[in-house]
Amino acid sequence: MSEDAIVVCDLSKIFRLPHEKKTTLFESITGILKGDKGYENFVALKGINFTVKKGEAVGIIGENGSGKSTLLKIIANILRPSSGSVKINGKITPFLELGVGFQPDLTAKENIYVYGAIMGMSDKEIDAKLKEILEFSGLSQFQDAKLKNLSSGMQVRLAFATAVQTDPEILLMDEVLAVGDMEFQQKCFDVFQRYIKEKKTIVFVSHDLNSIRRFCSKSLLLRRGEQITFGETNTIIDKYVYGVGDTKISNTEGSNKSRWGNKKVEIIEVRFIDKFDEKNTFFYSGDPMTIQIRYTIHEAIVDLVFGIAIYSENGTLIYGSNTDIGGYIPDRTAGNNEIRLIIDKLVMIEGKFSLTIAAHNKENVPYDWLDKQFFFNVLKKGNNVGLIEIPCEWKTIGL
Amino acid sequence: MRELWNYRHLTFKLAISEFRLRYKNSVLGFFWSLIEPLLMLIVLYIVFTNFMRVNIEHYQLFLLMGIISWNMLSRGTTMSLNSILGKSSLVKKVYFPREVLVISSSITALMMTLLEFIVFGIFMAVFAVIPGATIVYFPVILFIEFLLVLGLSFALASLNVFYRDIQYIWAVIIQAGFFAAPIIYPVSIIPEKYVWIIKLNPMTSIIEMLRGSVIYSTSPTIGDTAFVIASALVVLVCGYLIFLKLESRFAEEM
Repeated sequence: MSEDAIVVCDLSKIFRLPHEKKTTLFESITGILKGDKGYENFVALKGINFTVKKGEAVGIIGENGSGKSTLLKIIANILRPSSGSVKINGKITPFLELGVGFQPDLTAKENIYVYGAIMGMSDKEIDAKLKEILEFSGLSQFQDAKLKNLSSGMQVRLAFATAVQTDPEILLMDEVLAVGDMEFQQKCFDVFQRYIKEKKTIVFVSHDLNSIRRFCSKSLLLRRGEQITFGETNTIIDKYVYGVGDTKISNTEGSNKSRWGNKKVEIIEVRFIDKFDEKNTFFYSGDPMTIQIRYTIHEAIVDLVFGIAIYSENGTLIYGSNTDIGGYIPDRTAGNNEIRLIIDKLVMIEGKFSLTIAAHNKENVPYDWLDKQFFFNVLKKGNNVGLIEIPCEWKTIGL
Repeated sequence: MRELWNYRHLTFKLAISEFRLRYKNSVLGFFWSLIEPLLMLIVLYIVFTNFMRVNIEHYQLFLLMGIISWNMLSRGTTMSLNSILGKSSLVKKVYFPREVLVISSSITALMMTLLEFIVFGIFMAVFAVIPGATIVYFPVILFIEFLLVLGLSFALASLNVFYRDIQYIWAVIIQAGFFAAPIIYPVSIIPEKYVWIIKLNPMTSIIEMLRGSVIYSTSPTIGDTAFVIASALVVLVCGYLIFLKLESRFAEEM
């Protein structure tokens, strides 16, 4: 069983990003006459090397835009590599999106056959499993209803029920699967667990470090298209959270693209301060953290509210508050000022978090809004898993 | 090629579901699709028998055969034009040979044409025209036309991904082609020394051969057959080569 299922060898992918999207023959001809080269090269992936053995589950982690999905698509043979090679040994089933190729005007039953065919099943296989699919998705009495008359939740259930009937040798999963309600997510994880038990080869892309830790024995860490490291999952996740190899390591500030407001008040600097009173971006779970915001008042204003919002890496809002809710009135005197938010205990267990800091008035008209511009990391302490630490203890009540 | 064979199931599944979709949304079902060529037939028939005084045996069948076989080309290529672009979610999210999309939409068009030929059969019965033994050539010629359509479709569908105005250009060419091919008139009205020009279009011989085999019980000549087969193959190979050249960038361009 130690055969290789996927061998990726020195893989690179370069996208052409056109200056101006030319989609007609006419534009292309005029473009040539103007002597426009017409595109920039964008390196999406560079020098990727790894091997997945049969029966292994491998996670791919990295920030947004690090090339995870591109890599998955190249493995799935949807995109072609610019150089290097991918060798696949087995039948691939990609789960990049559910319900592709659904036809709203066909009935649920007809769609099962078409979708099944797209996922590589024959009519006979579907015949045998049709009843099971309809029952699993709870749509038995709607089998002859047109798909467009079913709710979107029903459509997703139908797609999922059909897709899990495929008997994949190599499974490619994108995290888009992890949308939907709790019950649905649980179903996804159950199926995932089943595939792992059956020793299927799995490549899994996710921001959710917990599920990667739970399911994948090995992981690949990507950063801006480059392979940082490949190996045992726990080590890789630590490296990811510590930001090993990241040149922007000590920089808390992001780009200037997501900043808006009328600048009557300007936020000059935001710092994270650790328990030793030092500027830092790494904090242990349970440690205190102070957020220091320095700002300048440019114009006289009637009211001023500072707000913060903390997001997890997949963009979930974890916590949001402002000075108005907190019953605090920030200093409005002209010139440079400072305000601090003191957090006694970071309840997050681990991961990268982004922070929005905004100065606005009580009607929510922004003075200066910095959207997800600041980042800090929380390192794991102890063995609990999940998103946040919940204070609790185990007890036995004596009889 | 062998991979494509493994995907034949998907190809037919897609072709049939597309075929069903075409007829599902209208109450009259597939009769709608027959009304269009029939209306055209009536208009052209009235114009050409009463005003232009065309004198051809079984002109109504002559005309209908011309319209149906030209429709096969125009519908096949027009439907295939969007077969890749119109299925971008499939192309971007799942892998299967992209040829499947083009072939399946050409097959859908062929199925629609076969329906029209059934109506043609009814017309023949109504006008009491019995086809001779030459009818055996009919499926062969139809298959050659299918290869021609497929070749054009490969080229057009893949070019359309990169140059979206191909569909408008092609619509004009199809429009012009309707009058450039002997659909409403016979080749015999063309002066002898210019016949070779109109014969350059393989559709000319295909339409003539279809008429001959079904209506007039004449066998196709060896020269015509050879020319038609050769040109269908050349178009198919060229079209497929264009397709192969562009295919690797489909998912990126959409």
